[in-house]
Amino acid sequence: MSRFLVLTLNGLTQGAIYAAMALALVLIWRATKVINFAQGAMAMFTTYLALFAIDHGAPYWLGFVVALLSGLVLGVIVERVIVRPVESAPPLNVVILTLGLLLFFEALAPMLFGGQIRSFPAPFSIVGLRLGNSQVAFSPFDAFTLGSVVAVMILLLVLFQKTNLGLRMRASAFNPEVSRLLGIRVGRMLTLGWALASLVGALAGVLIAPSFLLYPTFMDQVLVYGFTGAVLGGLDSAMGAVIGGLLIGFALGYVGGYLGSDLETVGALVILIVVLMVRPRGLFSLQRLREV
Amino acid sequence: MLEIADLTVAYGPVVALNGVSLTVADASITAVLGANGAGKTTLVRTISGLVRPRAGSIRLDGRDITRLAPEEIARLGIAHVPQGQGVLAELTVDENLRLGGLWRSDPRGQRGALAEAYQLFPPLAARRHVEAFSLSGGERQMLSVGRALVARARVLLLDEPSLGLARLVLVQIMARIKTLVLERGLTVLLIEQNAKSALSVADQAMVLHLGKVVAQGRAHQLMSEEGLRHAYLGF
Repeated sequence: MSRFLVLTLNGLTQGAIYAAMALALVLIWRATKVINFAQGAMAMFTTYLALFAIDHGAPYWLGFVVALLSGLVLGVIVERVIVRPVESAPPLNVVILTLGLLLFFEALAPMLFGGQIRSFPAPFSIVGLRLGNSQVAFSPFDAFTLGSVVAVMILLLVLFQKTNLGLRMRASAFNPEVSRLLGIRVGRMLTLGWALASLVGALAGVLIAPSFLLYPTFMDQVLVYGFTGAVLGGLDSAMGAVIGGLLIGFALGYVGGYLGSDLETVGALVILIVVLMVRPRGLFSLQRLREV
Repeated sequence: MLEIADLTVAYGPVVALNGVSLTVADASITAVLGANGAGKTTLVRTISGLVRPRAGSIRLDGRDITRLAPEEIARLGIAHVPQGQGVLAELTVDENLRLGGLWRSDPRGQRGALAEAYQLFPPLAARRHVEAFSLSGGERQMLSVGRALVARARVLLLDEPSLGLARLVLVQIMARIKTLVLERGLTVLLIEQNAKSALSVADQAMVLHLGKVVAQGRAHQLMSEEGLRHAYLGF
């Protein structure tokens, strides 16, 4: 199989995970104009919780559910306990708080779970599928990764576009004050937004852990790539985040494959700088519409 | 009935409202007039819970609502249409209208109210699935009032509806509101800088100057007080 195809397939799977991370960041950004730098660390923590369950005899799928549910709960706790008290402060205060939270989780994890590098199980084979005589760079687990990210995105899309709850959440994000005047309990919508974002982040964590190995800072890189994808897509567009994340996945796959894997991080940085210079609002931002 | 008693509001050391009392009778339009900075907008923002008063009370049908959160006040049937109309520009006309009554959890009544709003403001029906940012000023105003209708609000707080609207459009919208007052018993508190047009539709009126009430009475009486008109209303 040609090298290009291999890299493209790799990029697709990785990109799906970056897309999930980007989406998590965008969900919170849209509602609060805050970048949650602890998003990766929170996902790391929930992945450890999943591994903890699996270590204690739980089947993989129970571990998977533990990760997602603990993500949901962690999002609620972080919003209610950490973010809510500084709600009226400038967004920068909250951003700095999320940085503190990142350090907190990365310090807490080794205390609770040990600091050594752990492998994380995958529910399906991570060996490439066989097509006739040749092996394709696409494993059943890759298919699962892609499928679960797509499924979550469709669910979120339906929630936001087709349900009254989603309508309330969008309204609260666009204009909290007017939303309150319409009888919407904006505080609850914010909590729900953090919970959903944290759930999507947790999904990214369990999906990438089998190929990255698990250690307290293993999500830092994913956060950076997800953030780059989110900026590329325009920060306030969920669809943009998904496409941005996928594009980052492809781009870094090619950079790593053709130029050397050491250059991946540099590649992400270059993309970030170029986007910020050429199109600072990203590819799919709604901002332009609003100016018209 | 909306009763405001001795309301005092301050932003830090700046007193925006100083002992303001006002009773807004059911099924009537009460105009609050005054120049820029008189405290008109502060008054409506305090009624809807966005601003906390330093002293005084606000009662709706005898119930004290002074310290309630804005979303709870909205759920009691007070709809505040803020200056600049407060439509959610990124959402469609239909979504904006539906948002008005979502808290009611009464899907059937909801659909009826929605149909009614479209009937009352036909231009909105034609643009149902268009994002609100592309609407004209008049259409946005219709959308805000229509949304209050969908919420089945009993009290409508209108903050400067004339702002940026062509005279004819404003007259049309006010005529619709007058109909709602007469047919539905809607209670309206109308904030206006443009005293002449407000007094022509209002039953009662109050003039604010630097946070204090300087005149209060029937609209046509205020209209005929020449000294008052010259001093505070500018016509």
